[in-house]
Amino acid sequence: MLKINNLHASVEDKVILTGLNLEVKPGEVHAIMGPNGAGKSTLGYVLSGRDGYEVQQGDVSFKGEDLFEMDIEERASNGLFLAFQYPVEIPGVSNMEFMKESVNATREQRGEERLSATEFLKKAKEACNQVQLPLDFLKRGVNEGFSGGEKKRNEIMQMILLQPSLCILDESDSGLDVDALQVVANGVNSQRDSTRSFIIITHYQRLLDYIKPDFVHILADGKIVKTGDASLALRIEKEGYAFLGKEYEGASA
Amino acid sequence: MSQWLTQVIDDAKRVDDFLAPMRQQALSKLQTQGWPHARSEEWRLTPLTSIKERTVEASSVAVNYIVPQIKGLNPIDLVFVDGVLVTNLNDIRLPTGLSVHALSDAPSAAQTKITALFGHVKPTRHVFGLVNDAICQQGIYIEVDENCSIDTPLRIVNLATKDCDAHTRALVNLGKNSQLKVIEHGSGSAASFTTAFAEYAIGQEARLEHYRFAFFTGAAKQVGGSHFSLQDKANLNSTLVAYGSELSRLDVDIIHAGEHANAKMNAIYLLAEGEFFDLHSTIEHAMPNGTTEENARGIIGDRARAVFSGRIHIHRDAQKTLAELNNRNLLLSRRAMINTKPELEIYADDVKCAHGATVAEIEEQALYYLLSRGIKRSKALVMLNFGFIQELVNDIDNENIRTWLSPMLSERFASMEVK
Repeated sequence: MLKINNLHASVEDKVILTGLNLEVKPGEVHAIMGPNGAGKSTLGYVLSGRDGYEVQQGDVSFKGEDLFEMDIEERASNGLFLAFQYPVEIPGVSNMEFMKESVNATREQRGEERLSATEFLKKAKEACNQVQLPLDFLKRGVNEGFSGGEKKRNEIMQMILLQPSLCILDESDSGLDVDALQVVANGVNSQRDSTRSFIIITHYQRLLDYIKPDFVHILADGKIVKTGDASLALRIEKEGYAFLGKEYEGASA
Repeated sequence: MSQWLTQVIDDAKRVDDFLAPMRQQALSKLQTQGWPHARSEEWRLTPLTSIKERTVEASSVAVNYIVPQIKGLNPIDLVFVDGVLVTNLNDIRLPTGLSVHALSDAPSAAQTKITALFGHVKPTRHVFGLVNDAICQQGIYIEVDENCSIDTPLRIVNLATKDCDAHTRALVNLGKNSQLKVIEHGSGSAASFTTAFAEYAIGQEARLEHYRFAFFTGAAKQVGGSHFSLQDKANLNSTLVAYGSELSRLDVDIIHAGEHANAKMNAIYLLAEGEFFDLHSTIEHAMPNGTTEENARGIIGDRARAVFSGRIHIHRDAQKTLAELNNRNLLLSRRAMINTKPELEIYADDVKCAHGATVAEIEEQALYYLLSRGIKRSKALVMLNFGFIQELVNDIDNENIRTWLSPMLSERFASMEVK
């Protein structure tokens, strides 16, 4: 699905990723944890193709193709989805119009027919119910005046509608209460299958209580310094990242 | 002086018809005023050099031309090609209450009315207004009888198909309590120079639904205007849509000459790479209790330039006036430019007025968000930035015009590059 090889990237001349390696196979769920400033969000932006994020070195293949050869919108319509930590508000564009265009762009890319307004409305209502947002959120401007939690649910709603093959969730749990956290987790779990992969970027173990990862990676100083199973997240929860310091120093010594 | 103007003045001296006194007046003003000074407030932002140094090319009857169609509208078409009226007015069946005459062929009763209207709606004529007054022999006079409501829209078409000077005129008289829909439709990209002016006298309680499409592009240069005077309780709803060319300038003047008149004007300009468009609008509130609502919105492409000058002048006696003027612009590149100048000049003390202008650039974050959901760049830009234009399109009363304009404008916008 995704193969990252020796990725170096910077933003505004500040080097953030310094040789990151990661392979995600179809159907796998990878959690990426790490201290603030380690480069977790940068990884998501670089993969999605955001302007201003420069790749200095390394390569990434997505479904066997060179990811960096694709424009932002191509990556998305090829099945890469990034759920944002801080989704932007776009007054003037309705959530419905936005999602319909987005779903249809993806369908066209796959050689499928565009959905009619009625067909789309039906799907959108189902997805909206699934993330427990009132239906009038479809009519409102994209994220306009949504609370933090509502924005996160809106991201998950888009994920459900777009049916991507690789979902990257950038701190989709931050700022959520337990109920909202469960809604997000249920949304993700409902989409898990043997072909769809997930990269879950998070600070906290608690989301991983609901979404069981196959692998847990620790990202520090721009690269993955430790990989383990779900128990690694529990250790971080208990000990913090302090142990990393020694281990990491030890490794580089 | 400009060689073009000198030649025009010489040619105009040979024009002899029932409008002679007005033409004479225009000529003497042209001779005294001469070519506008490069720094004159009225013209300093308008690139006039190409006209100044132009050689007059007389117009002649064109053979090949295509009149752009608006699906479902079925208007009465009055077509000027390169400044020559090619529609045979005898072939047109007019609804009861509507009469149309060519200026060159107007019966004496109509001549009297034309003389009363010609150059009077906007008495302060700028250089090209004076040129048109002095030389224009191709024109039409349109009259709606009192209490008549004409359903079929009338369309005045100006086509530029070859290099020539085209001067046309429309004079429209709406009788008391009458109704009319007029579309002024200019189009063409041939190197040419068109001056097309229209004057509307909207009688008591009469209603005019007006459109002006200035789709001259490329080397087709034009300076024109639509001038309206509103009598008591008259109503004007005008929509202007413009592209840009080497030189495209329109002056819209609305004069509240009666009380309780209402004017609404929406203007849209969409300038592709390197184009120029200049809109000068003046609203004169000379009488009390009038309302004006003006919205001008534009999108300006790379190296294109727009000028908006919007003036509302409220005279001392025009108490209880309600006037609003708003101009919004979106620049698609660092090299796109707008000169905007909304002006309020108020001499009455009991009025409600507002004006404003905004200039914006593309929202990068919002664009990224849409792209990251697979939406194509061109479509995303339309979704993010076309809404404020679409709002004015949706505001158009005529459904056929709306349906025709909407995809045409969004396609033009989608083809404009953001740099």
